[in-house]
Amino acid sequence: MIFLAKASEIPEGERKLVKVNGVDVAVFRQGGRFYALNNACPHRQGPLSRGTVEAAAEGAGCFVRCPMHGWRFDLATGDSNGRPANATVYAVDQRGEELYIEI
Amino acid sequence: MSIRMEQIQPIIDHEYAYLMAERPHWSLTKGDQDLELVAHALRVLLHMKTAPQHPDEYLALVDCQHADGGWGKMSSEKTSAAWVTAFCALMLIRGNLSLKNPRIAESVRKCVRYFLDTQKEDGKWSDPSWADLDAVSHPVSFFDVLMAVGPNLVDAPTMVRVRDSWRKGMKFMLERQDADGGWYDPEFHPTGVEITAHLIQDSIVADLVLGDEHQVRNCCQKGVMKLLSVQAADGSWDGENVDHTMDCTRSIMLVCSILGTRAQCDRTIERGLEWILKHKCEKGWPDFPGMETNLERTCDGLDTLLKYKTYSQPVTTALVKLWGYAA
Repeated sequence: MIFLAKASEIPEGERKLVKVNGVDVAVFRQGGRFYALNNACPHRQGPLSRGTVEAAAEGAGCFVRCPMHGWRFDLATGDSNGRPANATVYAVDQRGEELYIEI
Repeated sequence: MSIRMEQIQPIIDHEYAYLMAERPHWSLTKGDQDLELVAHALRVLLHMKTAPQHPDEYLALVDCQHADGGWGKMSSEKTSAAWVTAFCALMLIRGNLSLKNPRIAESVRKCVRYFLDTQKEDGKWSDPSWADLDAVSHPVSFFDVLMAVGPNLVDAPTMVRVRDSWRKGMKFMLERQDADGGWYDPEFHPTGVEITAHLIQDSIVADLVLGDEHQVRNCCQKGVMKLLSVQAADGSWDGENVDHTMDCTRSIMLVCSILGTRAQCDRTIERGLEWILKHKCEKGWPDFPGMETNLERTCDGLDTLLKYKTYSQPVTTALVKLWGYAA
């Protein structure tokens, strides 16, 4: 596991771009939970860390929409709802104040 | 115009030299490539008027065309997709105006068959990577160019089918414009900025063919006004999106020139261009300010400067030619 960030660095509703082992990782904090995705959209490599976060109705998940061409991904699973590729997600392990991921 | 050519030309020269130095990363003569990037680079060659020095690049694109007439996202990919196929087709038909190569001409004919074979009943082309409106606008743009510069490329019955197909595609686009002048796709583009920029430049040609049938001039003028209304105070569009700011700046140049509304749009175009110049990297352009340079954006940046160079000249036909809508 590799250190990602301190939880306090990412307030609720915010995001942070972190480079881990040479990979740009977009970290989001939504609903008290942390999500980590490869920052490059699988469509045209748009920066997901600059995307718009959208919440589904009735708490059915959170999504990020790529700012380049609008592909939308489930923050938890990376699922693109039928587009040709999904986003790469990394499981976030919170240990007290510190966040870790495995790449 | 407040942006002077003496300011622009050195940047064009510098960025073109950078793009050519990066050739291993976009040239099909060097290996498998992302074809959208290849098409962006070939467009720069066209607008720099250097395509005749690089026929190998255009022929390499012919070499990876599929039997159905299409291309995939990567040159090694075997499944064809509408959007990238239209972009490749546009580069070949326009490149062949100077290259005059029979293999490229035959490749363009295969592209025509691909689009005639894959259009849906309602006039659209589908591509899972793109919004329907984007996936339609690019083949329509290819047919715009085919009708303008390449009617002798295909036989008369095929040209009749092309005109019918083009008309259906154009109708699909025009009927989906929102009352506020923008085009939107809830799945892909809630803000509608990029689609609107693409569609007004692809639609304006219809004014020459359809006349008042779909009030094309009015549609395009409304689209321009929509883009003008959502430009940020700093000159950018869509949350400092470099790609979309370049799209809007270029598109408004063409459409306002044809509509005769340049005085209304000059300042918007200059502000867009000033923002683009302000946020370039040492070499090339990023997707967003502060990010690393990106080759595809660099091609778009060069294209925008080259189009501005032509826009600064008083002859509108030169600008229309730069979009490929005239020989």
